[in-house]
Amino acid sequence: MNGAMKPKHALCLAMAATFLAALARPATAKEDGFNDVVKAIEQFYHVKHQNIPLLARAGMKAAKTAARIRGGDYKRLAEAGSARVAFFEEQNFDSHGQIASFKASVKNALSVTWSALVQTLAPKNEEQNYIYVRELDKNFSVLVITIERHEATVVEATVAPQILAQLMKDPNEMGKALTDDATIDP
Amino acid sequence: MKPLFRNSLKAITVSVLLLLTTVASVRAQSAKLQMDQLDVLANKASETVEVKLDEHLMQTTAKFFSDPDDAEIKEVLKGVKGIYVKRFEFEKEGEYSEADLESIRSQLRNPGWTRIVSVGSKKEISIEVYLLQNGDQIGGMAVLATGSREMTVVNIIGPVDLDKLTKLEGSFGVPPVGDAIRQREKKK
Repeated sequence: MNGAMKPKHALCLAMAATFLAALARPATAKEDGFNDVVKAIEQFYHVKHQNIPLLARAGMKAAKTAARIRGGDYKRLAEAGSARVAFFEEQNFDSHGQIASFKASVKNALSVTWSALVQTLAPKNEEQNYIYVRELDKNFSVLVITIERHEATVVEATVAPQILAQLMKDPNEMGKALTDDATIDP
Repeated sequence: MKPLFRNSLKAITVSVLLLLTTVASVRAQSAKLQMDQLDVLANKASETVEVKLDEHLMQTTAKFFSDPDDAEIKEVLKGVKGIYVKRFEFEKEGEYSEADLESIRSQLRNPGWTRIVSVGSKKEISIEVYLLQNGDQIGGMAVLATGSREMTVVNIIGPVDLDKLTKLEGSFGVPPVGDAIRQREKKK
């Protein structure tokens, strides 16, 4: 039986191969909150996002230094280099009265590791804000989705717990603060 | 002792322990109100706000309230296991029904819950505050604020000092309840 592999060995090899393949498999849907949400927006509203480089964004926004929390000093909220931003500009966001369905599709797009922290909906103007949070080692990953009639922004950023604590005091302003922080030039 | 009797005794002991664990778990969870049934109102509402701060998030971030201004908030939040808020604003009157309110009030008639504040009139915002008492401890709180064009439900899980609740006004999505509480104090 030199040339033939014993069935037991073949089974072990197959199991090892399956295990290694499982370890090496690429990230599937529901593992990257940012991309999954961007896709969910594109599919629901039939729109396309733009990834605008930071330098290009610099000229687009007012020259504020950074977001401000509750009237305090301006300071950076996101950990350096952690922010990912997708813009949807000059496009039509109309859920045709199905805003609740969009809310559900965002929830479905995200894995259970993300917790919904704040959700605000104003169907008349199609205005929506969603903030999801998940733990990331010692920090938190925060996903902010802002949608208006003709534009939308998706921001994912890593924030330290002490920053999150400050932001949580005013959950309604939290999304705006983080979006400003990620999109306004320092 | 006969084996059969010994086994039965063991089984009964295990069953009783399981039952006690279940009862304790149900009691501990009873402070959390079921509010998902209100989600349908989002389709009629001109604005909907939903805030969910669960125990893990509260406890992880609470220790970072380090500013002197935050000392009181930190004190109020000590032991709080969650804050859940749903708020609906409507353009017209009559967009939510008594049945919607009843779906919350019926839960607040369960054992342990007591209405401690009820102020307001049909024309203004009415505020009802309920406390859940587990023995001599407060297990949770609910605030139901209703007006002709708005409805807010706040559910706080864990011990909350009613007198200090006003410190959370405007924070964590908690609406202003101070006036209602002060009116209660006057009545006392």
